Amino acid sequence: MINIENLTVKYGGVIALDHLTLCITDDVVGLIGPNGAGKTTMTNAFSGFAPITAGHVVVDGMNLLALSPHKRACWGLARSFQKVQIADDLTVADHLRAVCDAKGIRQRDRTSQINHALDFTGIADCADMPGADLNPYQKRMTEIAKCLIGAPRIILLDEPGGGLSEAEMQDLRRIITQIKARFGAQIIMVDHDVDLIRDVCASTAVLDFGKLIAFGPTREVLQDEAVKTAYLGR
Amino acid sequence: MTKSIIPPLIFFALCLIGLPLVLSALWVKVVTSAAIFALAAAGISVLFAQLGLINLAQIALVGVGGWIALRLNYGTALPVTLIIAIAGIATSVIGAALALPALRMRGLYLALVTLMAAGAFQILFNAFQFPNGGEGFWGVARQSAADLRPPLMVQSDAGYLRYTIVITALCFGLVALHRVTAPGRAWAMIRQSEANAMAAGINVTFYKIWAFALSGLLAGVAGGLLSTALGQLDARSFLASEGILLFALAVVGGAYSWVGAVIAGVLYKLLPALLNDFGVSADIALVIFGAALLHAIMTAPRGIAGQLSGALQRKPA
Repeated sequence: MINIENLTVKYGGVIALDHLTLCITDDVVGLIGPNGAGKTTMTNAFSGFAPITAGHVVVDGMNLLALSPHKRACWGLARSFQKVQIADDLTVADHLRAVCDAKGIRQRDRTSQINHALDFTGIADCADMPGADLNPYQKRMTEIAKCLIGAPRIILLDEPGGGLSEAEMQDLRRIITQIKARFGAQIIMVDHDVDLIRDVCASTAVLDFGKLIAFGPTREVLQDEAVKTAYLGR
Repeated sequence: MTKSIIPPLIFFALCLIGLPLVLSALWVKVVTSAAIFALAAAGISVLFAQLGLINLAQIALVGVGGWIALRLNYGTALPVTLIIAIAGIATSVIGAALALPALRMRGLYLALVTLMAAGAFQILFNAFQFPNGGEGFWGVARQSAADLRPPLMVQSDAGYLRYTIVITALCFGLVALHRVTAPGRAWAMIRQSEANAMAAGINVTFYKIWAFALSGLLAGVAGGLLSTALGQLDARSFLASEGILLFALAVVGGAYSWVGAVIAGVLYKLLPALLNDFGVSADIALVIFGAALLHAIMTAPRGIAGQLSGALQRKPA
């Protein structure tokens, strides 16, 4: 369970998140809103990359904001970025090894964890390819595989569907919906693609100008008049 | 990975066997110095290639390692190899400490901080000089330098060249080991972006300090080797400007491969000696370095080493 209380983020005079309060219990939760609504700011606040002026984020009883960014990751907060972060000169397997190093996973558990993540995301074939040679889909899957190492508790996916083809989106849907069962992590997903959100998210939160304007079961939220006005352009 | 260690092994083995046989007494000393500064340049390359950090204080750290080694050689009966190791470790601690205020800086600002540190060491070296067998903590006497103990089993300059090549090769191996293990992977993630590294659980501060410590270790070992090679050190050899020069040469040689560090050492010590030998002023070397740096910046960001490996790869197999 993820409890967000009064979370406020300010960039200078701009209030990017305005007293956001949200309690997340579903396995896969969507986060939508127009550009500049504060979606990425919220994932950055979770990661420790945003200037938080007030509020708490408590996950399974752990006060996340008390930890430094890399300790949050070691505790079980994993995330992908809107712009994929794949180093050109590291192989796919080395990316996963780097996460194993950081999380202190023992040598004998590494191979099985890495293989599990590679198989699950369907990129076992390119395990030894350097980042520079990967196509955008393989990069995206590497990014997700990185999140699956070391028993994650929450995975934040920032626009995982960006730039993928329809066939690739089908894979992505399957992967996102199975993560909870296979790896045990709760997922918060930011995306613009309403179809993707509708298909995989049990509940969805809608932000506009840093404020929560709707939260609940995805179908209901997408029918909400306020949401349609703010987001779907009516 | 196993394949990529064969060329450097062959190179160092050839140097180890061949160089002491073919070189005259004078050139043995010059090549020893070149190997030592190749080691120092490898430290600059670690920071620059792995993390994009500019360290202009490497020559100052070589001086620190040299000072410690001289002090221990005169003041204790420890074996020389152990002294060099201690000089390396102590310098690595100092290098890591220098890194602390610099951690939030990068690019030009970090370069300026390291340049200031190099300037501070230049003043300290000038004020206190290097130990030459005198009394007291600073160990400086108005006398010509007392004799230093050589390493065990090293009786001649040629033997010391072999000794230097072995230690340099071991240190290059240590750097290579870093690149394929946890620190190398962490550095690659940090290079991609610090946010990416932190989100993967990597302690960015720790691995940056580690890189500075490794770079300092190489400088300290180089300093220890240099002090025993020369028998005494002169404060004028450790000016801040020399740090800038060695950094420039590490870039010219190529920071991304061990070959580049070797080229940097050769340019730094061998080229001026060669020019002297041809009867040309060694200062011409500075002109050549300037042109080479422009060339590297404009056309060869991976340095001469990068151009060499590019040329080799283009050749049909």
